[in-house]
Amino acid sequence: MVNKKLIHELLHENNCSHSDKKKSSCDKPKPGATSGGCAFEGAQIALFPYADAVHLVHAPATCIGASWETRETPTSFKGFNNTKTGYCTQVVANDIIFGGTQKLEDAIAYLLEHKDPQAVFVYETCVTAMIGDDMDNVCARMQKRSGVPVVPVHAPGFVGSKNLGSRLAGETVLEYLIGTKEPEQIHPYGINLIGEYNVTGDMWQYTPLLEEIGIKVVSTLAGDGRIENIRQAHRAKLNVIVCAKSLESLTRKMQERYGIPYISISFYGMRDTTNAIMSIVNAFGDEKLIAKAKEVTAREEKLLQKRLQPYRKVLQGKKAILNTGGNKSWSIASALQDIGMEVVATSIRKATLEDIEIAKQYVPVLMKVPANEQAKLIDEHGVDILLAGGRSLYTAIKKKIAFVDVNQEKEISYGAYEGLVNLAKDVCDAVNNKVFQTVGKDAPWSE
Amino acid sequence: MERIEKPLTLNPIKLSQPMGAMLAFLGVKNCMPLMHGAQGCASFSKVFFTRHFCDPIAVQTTAVNDITAVIDGGERSISEAIENITKKVTPDLVGLFTTGMTETKGDDIKGATYLLRDKQKIAYVHTPDFEGSFESGWAAVQQALIKQLVHQSKYSDKSKVALLPNVSMTPYEVECVKNALAQLGLECFALPDLSTSLDGHLGLKQGALSSDGISTQEIEKLGECGLVLTVGASVKSGGELLRKKCTKMQHLHFDSLSGLEASDLFYKQLLDYTGHKKPPRSVIHWRKRLQDAMLDTHFVLGSTKLALSLEPDQSYALAGALQEAGGNIETIVLGQKGEYDFDALSKNVRIGDFEDIEALLPKADAFIGNYHGHRLCKNAGKVHILRGFPNYEEVGNQLKSDILYEGSARLLFEVANSVKLAAH
Ligand code: SF4
Repeated sequence: MVNKKLIHELLHENNCSHSDKKKSSCDKPKPGATSGGCAFEGAQIALFPYADAVHLVHAPATCIGASWETRETPTSFKGFNNTKTGYCTQVVANDIIFGGTQKLEDAIAYLLEHKDPQAVFVYETCVTAMIGDDMDNVCARMQKRSGVPVVPVHAPGFVGSKNLGSRLAGETVLEYLIGTKEPEQIHPYGINLIGEYNVTGDMWQYTPLLEEIGIKVVSTLAGDGRIENIRQAHRAKLNVIVCAKSLESLTRKMQERYGIPYISISFYGMRDTTNAIMSIVNAFGDEKLIAKAKEVTAREEKLLQKRLQPYRKVLQGKKAILNTGGNKSWSIASALQDIGMEVVATSIRKATLEDIEIAKQYVPVLMKVPANEQAKLIDEHGVDILLAGGRSLYTAIKKKIAFVDVNQEKEISYGAYEGLVNLAKDVCDAVNNKVFQTVGKDAPWSE
Repeated sequence: MERIEKPLTLNPIKLSQPMGAMLAFLGVKNCMPLMHGAQGCASFSKVFFTRHFCDPIAVQTTAVNDITAVIDGGERSISEAIENITKKVTPDLVGLFTTGMTETKGDDIKGATYLLRDKQKIAYVHTPDFEGSFESGWAAVQQALIKQLVHQSKYSDKSKVALLPNVSMTPYEVECVKNALAQLGLECFALPDLSTSLDGHLGLKQGALSSDGISTQEIEKLGECGLVLTVGASVKSGGELLRKKCTKMQHLHFDSLSGLEASDLFYKQLLDYTGHKKPPRSVIHWRKRLQDAMLDTHFVLGSTKLALSLEPDQSYALAGALQEAGGNIETIVLGQKGEYDFDALSKNVRIGDFEDIEALLPKADAFIGNYHGHRLCKNAGKVHILRGFPNYEEVGNQLKSDILYEGSARLLFEVANSVKLAAH
């Protein structure tokens, strides 16, 4: 069953930076004026990176049919990679009339028998929530029979946004998995990485550095994650939220329940990466650890500066406008500045109050309606490059300036130190690309 | 047809009915496809088509939530959606289509549309995703537009043709048919027409509404056409419906336009219709090139085993074109039943999913199907020829054509070359 009380609580979470706006602004989507994904998608984003768990979507054709194998969340798991697999009960008209519970049970039984999962997540979706299939019961029974965690995820699309879905997924993990297994050893500097999904391998850009410093990643939610590890997450010493405010309620509850403090950081750009690493070691307060972290970050920064040299030659002083959503509105801005670029303006159209606060510290002009503002700003400031979603491409072409689609599915990581080199290279390639000068030329027959 | 028994689907082939409907509305000019359901379906579908076509995609949602789901029979969220949409843009048509959720609720979209008739032109269609398919969702929109928009006409113009393409036809394939008809002196109106809306042309792509396509005025006047032409079994009944509404109209149906025999049949019927003796010189020449292509490729194709998984209409068309040039269709795996005799094309025809394809792949040399086949083919060391939805791997897929003499020749070359290159 959908937990109405929990949803209400999550929506009015005092740590949610939405909550001081008018109450309704972040919970209910507006008909005809909504663009984001649903709660189910949010749950999928949060949990699918567990490659050793099966993700069974109890739904008709749309929910998973359009979304499986679309996320670049690599895993080092050597067994069968379930992140790239779309499991679906394929609810059909008959199930709407007679219920889909039996079908669900058969599917789970089959998966437990044939796929040897460390856990089975069962995702409720709009239709199966409406016909009232008793997922909780089926899951509990199957778990009892098999000894494998079978976890119902109640985040059907209609309860709200992607963001809410990720929170519900976090709460589910807390309720069903965290604390269900004791570790053999407790590491003094063990951390959980919360809200890091390892998109394009972002996480792998910095975890080796953490390990070198002496920090142990106990578990993740859920980038390159393992079920066994998240079950032991309650024995970590620190929760680290990575660029994902949405999971703060989870970490707060873990603090209450297990006494684990938490910090919130970002690994985009050089300054932020160094700050992130230092925040982690400072949270532990161990002198040796801090000294080691200083040494490692200094070394990496120096190395990075050297690697950025060739790109800096091209990009130093070049002016950029950034038009993207959420935390990217400042995290990418900060990264661009680290490469030596000037960020003239950034969009806050879809940003939370918190993101806006942070963005202010990085960028002078905050665009509320970028579609109307950016063309003018390009002219006024002599901007060289526009980093935005596909819709703005035409603006760049008309202004004959370089363009990078920042919302496109990336294939390489822009995360941490190493990722900054990738970003610098991409921006450099765009600035050098002749196409933006030629493609918008007038046709010979135009007047 | 054999069905592999397994109490779930693992890596589905099947695409949903509302997604087919959405794509169809994107071929109507200045249209806002409006998905009646919770917000996620529209979002997933939008990302899906944006990545496939590499272009901004227009769609909105009625964003039904847990509260409106209970208290509203649909009228409220629909009228609110229309109000919010028209605050920002002025659509010539709103294409309203349902999802599994709102069908489970049993919303009365006809009634809701009726209440709004003075404010906004709306076409409505029922497309739950717990039944039907990508093909049927597309076809349902064609039928809804015919029923709800097309005027009955007193006279009919023999030189005008209504074309009902199936969902798998690329924008460029639609254009190829339009051009072929133009060469015979016929003016063609495609319902819907992706050849001008999702063909990937540089324009003011704001993506707020569909950028081009068949206009609503053109749809209203489709009754004046002397001929309706349907391509693919999934859209046949749409043609019949139009002919019933406009009885002076003639209906020509083609299951496929790919390959020599299918192209011959197309030209034979159309020459009969127009009374021309011969098609233009270029067509005659392309037929000879196709014949030559068949001979140039028959050896490679004859020694190649092909696995195929596409929507039924496209599966039938491609399997037929490849088979007549010597290709061996080792297996066809479909997401849902089609109205064809697939068993005549291959001994191994199944309804299944990508796990089934993976299991069958070792027996084949090459696979024709969508993006999800890529990883499987890489792992199994098989050749992958990308067709169908989605294609996230390649750019320019809206400009592929496998139809009529020219497209068929290029298809044979592509398949033979891919197999040959991989062998060396
Ligand atoms: S909104 Fe509901 S039906 Fe649509 S994708 Fe999300 S969970 Fe599935």
